[in-house]
Amino acid sequence: MEIQLDFVSAETLARKGSAEKISFILDKIKRNIIVVLEEALEPQEEAELIEATMREIDAEEFHGIEFYRIDSRAKGLREKIAEYIAGRRHGITIVGPTRLIEAIKREPDYISMLAKVDIPQEEKKKKEGK
Amino acid sequence: MLSELKKSLRKLLKIFKRKKQIQLGFYGPVNAGKTTLANRISLDWLGKEVGTVSEVPHETRHVQKIENIVVTTNNGELKMNIVDMPGIATQVDYKSFKAFGMSEEEAKARAREATKGVIEAIKWLDNVDAVLVVLDSTQDPYTQVNVTIIGNLEARGIPMIIVANKIDLPEANPDSIANAFPQHVVVPISAATGENIEKLYEAIQEHLT
Repeated sequence: MEIQLDFVSAETLARKGSAEKISFILDKIKRNIIVVLEEALEPQEEAELIEATMREIDAEEFHGIEFYRIDSRAKGLREKIAEYIAGRRHGITIVGPTRLIEAIKREPDYISMLAKVDIPQEEKKKKEGK
Repeated sequence: MLSELKKSLRKLLKIFKRKKQIQLGFYGPVNAGKTTLANRISLDWLGKEVGTVSEVPHETRHVQKIENIVVTTNNGELKMNIVDMPGIATQVDYKSFKAFGMSEEEAKARAREATKGVIEAIKWLDNVDAVLVVLDSTQDPYTQVNVTIIGNLEARGIPMIIVANKIDLPEANPDSIANAFPQHVVVPISAATGENIEKLYEAIQEHLT
């Protein structure tokens, strides 16, 4: 069984508005891809992501997401202004479908992600159009 | 940047305008005890319970409003409306409800209602004056749902108290919640037994009005 991880650069994300970003992420998640974003999502974007996820949940195919933001954003006002001007939010965000990600847990020195592989082959082939 | 400005403006307005009656939202993950706390407060001051409590996740699937509660503490009188929100979650799998004896149809219907409840709770963020973030002190506080709820309240400049609930349980560790969110006031309570509830009323009066 394969697990696909897509890494999305900060430059790519900077070109997208919030709504476009959320739909870009969810589109991948619904195709059973784990996404690693090279930026920390804003709290409002996280709320939008949860809201959009709830709208997409259906009984058979999609039960939701697991995500985790590792934030290394600027704390001081000067740094925040510089970050705002540069259009860059330091950190990363990992998002994946619950059927693949069992848990994402914060340990003292690292973040641990436990993935599982239980997608039936027939379903995977159907999604890939084979 | 915009959220910083919004937060500062809210603080400034608060200095000039102290609300006589606050709209107090209860936010938190699923099964943290939000409705148990709403019932406790309602029972204490209105003499009646308002919501159903159970071990089945997503028992509260609609926003429940309890109006015109007048709380009296050593510091005076506090008038508030409580808005008990459905628990915030990032996933809803109908199969998890079947484990509690529901039929497939009942479980699917509950899942549909639960997803709508989460959306409703998020929409309500724009309509509350202050929030109690209710967390289960027997659970790991470092979850993304907790971080997202608190981050959204901070970004909107909404004052909050974190309630470390379920301290009556032997495995409770309210210190872990205080350590996870040191920038906020944390009040350990048991909504089920009423332990420390007076301290919560005093904290609401001191920090949220």
